[in-house]
Amino acid sequence: MTRVGTVALNTFREAVRDRVLYNLVFFALVMMAAAILVGQISVNIEQIVIVTLGLSAISIIGLLISLFIGVGLVSKEIDKRTLYALLAKPLRRWEFILGKFAGLSLTLAVNTVAMSAGLFLALFYVKHSIERADTAVLVAVYFILLKLALVVALAMLFSCFTTPLLAILFTAGLYIAGLFVHEMRNMQPNTIDPALGGFLRGISYVLPNFENFDVMGAAAHGRVISGMLIAQNTVYAALYCAIVLAVAMAIFSQRNLK
Amino acid sequence: MSLKSYIALFLFVLLGFAGVWRLQKCIDAQQSAVANEDDQVMLRSSKLVKGLSLEYAPLVADIYWTRVVQYFGNKQAGKQLDLRLLWPLLDVTSVLDPHLMPVYDFGSTFLSDAPPRGAGRPDLAVELIERGLRANPDEWRLYYDLGFVYYFDMKDYAKASEALYEGSKNPKALIWMKTMAAKIAAEGNSPETSNFLWQDVYNTTKDALVKQNALRHLQLLRAEEDLKQIDALADEYQKRFGRRPVRMRELVQSGLLRGEPVDGLGYPYILSEDGKAELNLKTPLRDKWIKAPASK
Repeated sequence: MTRVGTVALNTFREAVRDRVLYNLVFFALVMMAAAILVGQISVNIEQIVIVTLGLSAISIIGLLISLFIGVGLVSKEIDKRTLYALLAKPLRRWEFILGKFAGLSLTLAVNTVAMSAGLFLALFYVKHSIERADTAVLVAVYFILLKLALVVALAMLFSCFTTPLLAILFTAGLYIAGLFVHEMRNMQPNTIDPALGGFLRGISYVLPNFENFDVMGAAAHGRVISGMLIAQNTVYAALYCAIVLAVAMAIFSQRNLK
Repeated sequence: MSLKSYIALFLFVLLGFAGVWRLQKCIDAQQSAVANEDDQVMLRSSKLVKGLSLEYAPLVADIYWTRVVQYFGNKQAGKQLDLRLLWPLLDVTSVLDPHLMPVYDFGSTFLSDAPPRGAGRPDLAVELIERGLRANPDEWRLYYDLGFVYYFDMKDYAKASEALYEGSKNPKALIWMKTMAAKIAAEGNSPETSNFLWQDVYNTTKDALVKQNALRHLQLLRAEEDLKQIDALADEYQKRFGRRPVRMRELVQSGLLRGEPVDGLGYPYILSEDGKAELNLKTPLRDKWIKAPASK
């Protein structure tokens, strides 16, 4: 596990060196502008606007980072031939994959925590207080982080056997499909061919369900999110990541790097 | 990798997905407690959604249209009467793609129809169709939809006749539209006209939900006519025997009816305690039946 930790730490350092965290400046500017403007242009929904805008920005920025950097985690090491030097050391291929995943997840966690702090500052500026109901926003941020971990795992899986461009397309495609899982599952028999409905229902349980992590509406309106849902979503993300990473490790172990 | 490793990986993936499936069931149950129906249409400003859709507005309209159908289908399946999100969904869809014709056909039917069959908002249905006419002035079918809403739901026969007449000016319009415009202008509401209009919807629509709805209306129209006739026979029975019948069998035994009459789905009509003819308590038509004057 020390070797996995070393790879993870170096991945995080590399991301910092590549100025990935500079996006925080952009986020800070958006939140400051929103906090100042929102009071002027909206009536009675200032808090809702700040929360939805902040959570959307955290999600979009995180998705862009996890997709584009996640895809490059393996391919960049191969292109620069730094992977050969790494694998010559006592480091197994699966440890490399796991370390890279952990490193980018750490980067995303740091990034998301910083952005959340910015969101709460903006919220405090607008409301002049932080209430207990605002913990729903924290849960929403946590769910975004789980979602991002799943996207990183998928991006790494595809980058293990295809080109970066295709890996981006596959990951983005799966992400979009994963946002419509509920619709696929609940197609009414009177609105669709029964065979197609059955097929869609079947694959809806295999696709990663990104809708599970969408509680933006509940967070914006201060609705309580149950501890059970938090636990279930955590296990869901962990289990799905484990499956995807296991397949990625198996593929990468078999890959001919000559 | 050895064969054992492959088998282990396969088993892990298989068991993993079984776990995901099981977990998803639990999450669905939890999510339903957190979810609010209003979250389905967070952005209700059609102009804002169109702006955000960039040049992909027609594609987003298709997605919204799918949501309209599924929203309505889910409500029908759950026998829920509250259709308040139908208008925002149709509003956004029609602004995103004003040439998406099924929106107007579907909207005119289910926005205007009275609960429990629809949202009971004929005013919004008229607004939707008029928007469609501005974007598609050559679509005679929209005038037909407009006439339909005025005739059945707003009981404004002058406007219904006017809309049908306007539509009949289009060379592609159905040949009977002008005749029907004149008939409605002269007679107003009549069972023959209602029957004819619903029969035409049933014959021409490609939308399964609209077709199913038209069939229900035809069955209801027939049932309403049957109930009127049974009531007339019950009046006759009262004249002969000095009391109203409380069982259909009494009408049959008196020779006024040859057998117990049934509705379009095969369920026998019943008589209430005060001797008024009613739909059978078990017939699915009863869910859509509005006791009162015969209408759409």
